[in-house]
Amino acid sequence: MNKLTAMLFTAAGLALFLHTAQAFDLGQELKNAARELQKPGGSANLGGYSEAEEVAIGRQIAGNLLGAAPLVPDQKLQKYVNNVGRWVASQSDRPDLAWHFGVIDTNDINAFAAPGGYIFVTRGLYKLLNNEAELAGVLAHEIGHVIRKHHLKILQQGKMLDLGSKVLGKQVSDDKISRLIGSGAEIVSRSLDKGAEFEADRIGVVLAARAGYDAYGLPGVLQEIGHSAADDSSVALLFKTHPHPDDRLARLGEAMDSRFDNLNGQTVEKRFYKIK
Amino acid sequence: MRFNLLVTTALLIISGMVQAAESGTTVKKDSVRAAPFSDAKIVVTLPAATKVEILKKDGGWYQIKSAQGNGWMRMLSIRRGDINKPSAGSSASALAGLASGRSGTGKVVATTGIRGLNEEQLKAAHYDENQVTLLEASTSSRAEAQKFAARARLKARQMDYLADPGGSK
Repeated sequence: MNKLTAMLFTAAGLALFLHTAQAFDLGQELKNAARELQKPGGSANLGGYSEAEEVAIGRQIAGNLLGAAPLVPDQKLQKYVNNVGRWVASQSDRPDLAWHFGVIDTNDINAFAAPGGYIFVTRGLYKLLNNEAELAGVLAHEIGHVIRKHHLKILQQGKMLDLGSKVLGKQVSDDKISRLIGSGAEIVSRSLDKGAEFEADRIGVVLAARAGYDAYGLPGVLQEIGHSAADDSSVALLFKTHPHPDDRLARLGEAMDSRFDNLNGQTVEKRFYKIK
Repeated sequence: MRFNLLVTTALLIISGMVQAAESGTTVKKDSVRAAPFSDAKIVVTLPAATKVEILKKDGGWYQIKSAQGNGWMRMLSIRRGDINKPSAGSSASALAGLASGRSGTGKVVATTGIRGLNEEQLKAAHYDENQVTLLEASTSSRAEAQKFAARARLKARQMDYLADPGGSK
C-alpha cells in the first residue's frame, strides 16, 4: 500500500467514524468494503474500524475466550498484570486505549490479543516467567499485535468472504459482531502471517525497553519455550500458530543487533508476583 | 521431619547446580568477552555450533564456559539445550522442571491429560459476561500504572522501533 492510498484510507476511516459515531453498522461497512473492492486495483480498507467498533469486537472475543478459560481466581495477580501491562502499553502509540490484561486458567502455554486492547496470558506461560521484565516482554508482544491491528486485518479479510455470501443471496444475521468474528474465540487460534509475529517481537522488545525494563525478557521467554518439545501438548497451539521460537530469536537477534547493549534495563525480580 | 528437610534442601541444591550448568550451542560466530559489555575485552571468538555451558544470565548476556575459553556471550548467539538431543527428553530439562517446581516438560504433560486450549475448545466457547466484568474490574488507569512503575524506579525512555532486518514492510 503506498502512502497516498494509506492517507485516503485514513481519511475514509475518519469520515466513517464521524458519520456513524457510536453505531456499529456492519451493513454500511460491507457496502464500503464492496465499493472498495469494485475500485480498479482497490483493496478493502484493512483494519479500518473506528476505535469504538474495534473495542466492541475485542470485548466480544475476550468474553468468548474467557468462556473457554476463565480468569485465574486471584485478584492480586490480575491487578499486578494490569499494572505491568498498562505501564508498557503507555509507551506505545495507543497509550490511552482502555487496556485490559488477564491471566487465564489453563496449563497451555500461550498468550492472546484481541482488538481494542484485550490481552491474555495463560497460567502455563505465566509459570515459566522469572521476573517482571519477562512478563512485560510477553505483554509487549501482544500489545504490538493490537497497535498494528493484526487481528482486525484478519477479520477484514473474513468480511470479504461474508460479502461473497451476501452476493449469493444469503441472509446477513442480526448478531453482526458474532458473524464477523466467527465461532467462539476461534479468531485467537488463527495464525497471523509470520511477518506479523516477527513485527510484534520487534515491537515487544522496544516497548519493554521504553518502559525501563531489561529488553531481553521476551527473548528469554522465547528461549525457554523453544526448549520445549514440539510434541508437548501445552505448546501445541502456540507452535502451530507461530514461527518456531528459534526462528523468532534469530530474527530478533538480527534486528536488535547491538542497539540494546548500553541500555541497562531492570528485571524487577523482587516484586514479581508468583502463582501456585 | 528434620531429616526430610535436610534431604529436600540437599536435593534443591543439587538440582539448582544442574540447572545452573545448562548446556547450549552457539547459533552463530560470536566473541566471548571478559565482562557482559559490548566493549569488554574479547577472550576468544567461537564459531557457530560450538558447545558451551551456560552459567548465568545478565541482561542480554550469558556467562559461559567452553573448551576454548570462558566469559560472556550475547544470549541471542546461543541456543539453549544440546543441539544433538531433542530438548524434551533431555534429563537436564526434566531436572530444570523439578527445580523450578513446574509440572515438568515433554512427555509427562502429554500423558497426564490435556488441559490445554485447543482449537475445538476455542471454537465452541460461549461468551461469559461475568468474566468480562471481572476482567474490567482489574483494569489499571494510566496514572495508576505510572505510580506502580515509579515504585520499582522504572523510568520511561525514548527508543525508536526496530527496522525489519528482512527489509519487507
